[in-house]
Amino acid sequence: MNRKRVQDKSEKPSAVGLIGDLLIYARYSLVNWLKIILLVIKHGPFDTIRDIRRYPWILVLLQVNRLLWRFIRGRRGRYRIATAMVMADIVASVIRMMDDVFFRGELLVIHEDMIPPEIIRAMGLVPFMAELMGILMPMIRPHSVEVYIDACENAGIPPDICSLPKSTMGLTLKGHLPPALAIITSNLPCDGGMSSYALIEKELRLPTVRLDIPYRFTDEKAVDYFTREMKRLVTWLETHTPGRMNWDRLKEICEERNRMAAYEMELWDLIRIRPSPMAGEPVWLSHMWNFNVTPGSADGTRTFKRIVAMGKKNLEEGVSTIGEQYRALLWNPPTIHFIDIYNWAEKAYGISLIMDSMTFHRIDPIETDSPESMLRGLAKTIMAGPMARHTRGPAENYLNDIFHITKHFDIDMIWVAGHIGCKNTQALNGMLRELCRKEEIPLLIIHYDLSDPRIVSREGIIEQIDHFMENIMKAKRL
Amino acid sequence: MHRQAEKHYYGGCDVGSTTGKAVILNGEGIAATAIVPSEIDPAHTADIVLRKACERLEGLPDVRSLAYLIGTGYGRNEVPFANENISEISCHAMGVHYCDAKIRTIIDIGGQDVKGIALDETGAVLEFAMNDKCAAGTGRFLEMMSRIFRMELDEFSRLSLKANRIIPVTSQCSVFAETEVISLLSQRKPAAEIAAGIQASVAKRSFSLLKKIGIRPQVTITGGCAKNKGLVSALAKYLREEIRPLSLDPQLMGALGAAVTARMRVEKPA
Repeated sequence: MNRKRVQDKSEKPSAVGLIGDLLIYARYSLVNWLKIILLVIKHGPFDTIRDIRRYPWILVLLQVNRLLWRFIRGRRGRYRIATAMVMADIVASVIRMMDDVFFRGELLVIHEDMIPPEIIRAMGLVPFMAELMGILMPMIRPHSVEVYIDACENAGIPPDICSLPKSTMGLTLKGHLPPALAIITSNLPCDGGMSSYALIEKELRLPTVRLDIPYRFTDEKAVDYFTREMKRLVTWLETHTPGRMNWDRLKEICEERNRMAAYEMELWDLIRIRPSPMAGEPVWLSHMWNFNVTPGSADGTRTFKRIVAMGKKNLEEGVSTIGEQYRALLWNPPTIHFIDIYNWAEKAYGISLIMDSMTFHRIDPIETDSPESMLRGLAKTIMAGPMARHTRGPAENYLNDIFHITKHFDIDMIWVAGHIGCKNTQALNGMLRELCRKEEIPLLIIHYDLSDPRIVSREGIIEQIDHFMENIMKAKRL
Repeated sequence: MHRQAEKHYYGGCDVGSTTGKAVILNGEGIAATAIVPSEIDPAHTADIVLRKACERLEGLPDVRSLAYLIGTGYGRNEVPFANENISEISCHAMGVHYCDAKIRTIIDIGGQDVKGIALDETGAVLEFAMNDKCAAGTGRFLEMMSRIFRMELDEFSRLSLKANRIIPVTSQCSVFAETEVISLLSQRKPAAEIAAGIQASVAKRSFSLLKKIGIRPQVTITGGCAKNKGLVSALAKYLREEIRPLSLDPQLMGALGAAVTARMRVEKPA
């Protein structure tokens, strides 16, 4: 186990340092807002208002820059800059997504979150990840998807289904998804997700293709099978949309993805060191966004490269992100409506939530020698992806990752975001509890709902963490 | 820094929603205890109960003479002159461990919440689960039910033990359970059997909570509801385990744990 520790030479902020931190915020905030305003001007204020009335989620997405302060407050120096850079990427890509909806809507393809957008992009089409609304909206405004959850339940969908597919179904039922050419979905990641596309297909009446993703992700025969499924997807899209596969474009995307993944591996090596020279959003949000929403973008690679450089510089100078007292693993999807939990945990208890289940995605680089090898690489990436490998198949897929991460990153405690709507993981958490007791690893299972703060509020989550930190970790608030 | 006293006394004060409890320890063991009904102001409750406990000891003029005082319970921040405050979960675990070191699982049923606590051989909390959002299954729920029967809680508890069979009370919600019980009474169903059904419904909820943390023997019950023999009997049936009685009033466990910790703070400062 890597237990290398460096001396933390972080100093109390000087007046100059505080002004510098303020300027970092001012600069990024200003540039982000400017980009948003330019989009509104480009689209035309009247057309924007018309589209907001038609798709009210646009109004929420236009406020994406509100996240910047929630993520960077209290952070200093390079850690602050790295966090702001990740937010700048997100703002830019949200703007791009809205730009696509406004100006390239005729090429829009709705896809489920387990489908690789790389293929859609390489075919000259515009990917629209339907689930992204249910993720991003409560991040920006915690109560913003309740209207969609309620619409879904009022239409007769069982309330105990995961609130993420319920949000997507609600968007569909209220007619708030933009017009599209086709739908791509799969048999992942969970029953709720799968069943939601039956409703979405019926409501939107669009040609729909379902990919069959096998769960034996280490089995070469299963990889062969899924590679064939990917070929079927390409053929299907060429039949049902004007999109045509451009293999050179796909190669560029995959190579860019590989470069980004290489930087991420360097980052993971850095964060093994205690106290960590980099943590929080530069680790988890940069992964979630750049690998799932905009994989293969040069902006993402550039951001990772700079985060790694800043992490190395911090390490050289003995500067840690925060006064790290503990390191925790956050398992399962993050607490979306309490998305600044990382920042809160740092300030409240000096906890670095150093790794999480969505970020920890070990994959080989995609071989770009031939179309076949690229599809095979993408197939492997999806099959072994977070949730795909955790919520189906044997329990060891779930448990082994947790204990590997715990050892690899020298974790002090495990926090499981026990999403009430995730039936797949509820039994697994029982097994996890027994194993943690045996291994003497403190375990907190946070009761909450992924997207619906009415089930357990931000304060309710904090209360659970406080109880755990006081009674199990014997820690006091800083 | 702990206060100096001629004779070392260590205090624990548990300010709960229904009662305030105080335990004072000296070097030999428990020196005094007190329980009072909670006032509206938690500080006032703590003041009354601590004064009452101090009055029972010669040579301890008032609370300020305690060498160390720890507050716990929902009003723990309001205990006057407390050196620190600690969560009731840790205090219950420590109090129970002091009484019986073999206990590994605690169900604490208080006036407004229910907690399951798993502890290790040193009295440290391994894991816990709690329901503090729903009144069903708490002491308040049982108080409500006993009022329907026009009985005191003790009498209601004894009534349930007289039942030959149990009429299930299925409601998970205290408001609807009340309606259900009134309806059963109006059907002239035997009161003892309805009471046994109420106890069983609380026991079942407690059992579900305990399953979240794993039930390891020995098991005990703390909190005011531990005095409810009908409930203890119903819970033992679900657990298929003996519920170990404690050597001290189980309602005092939080305050006792606080006092034990207070003594540890002075004897073995962190």
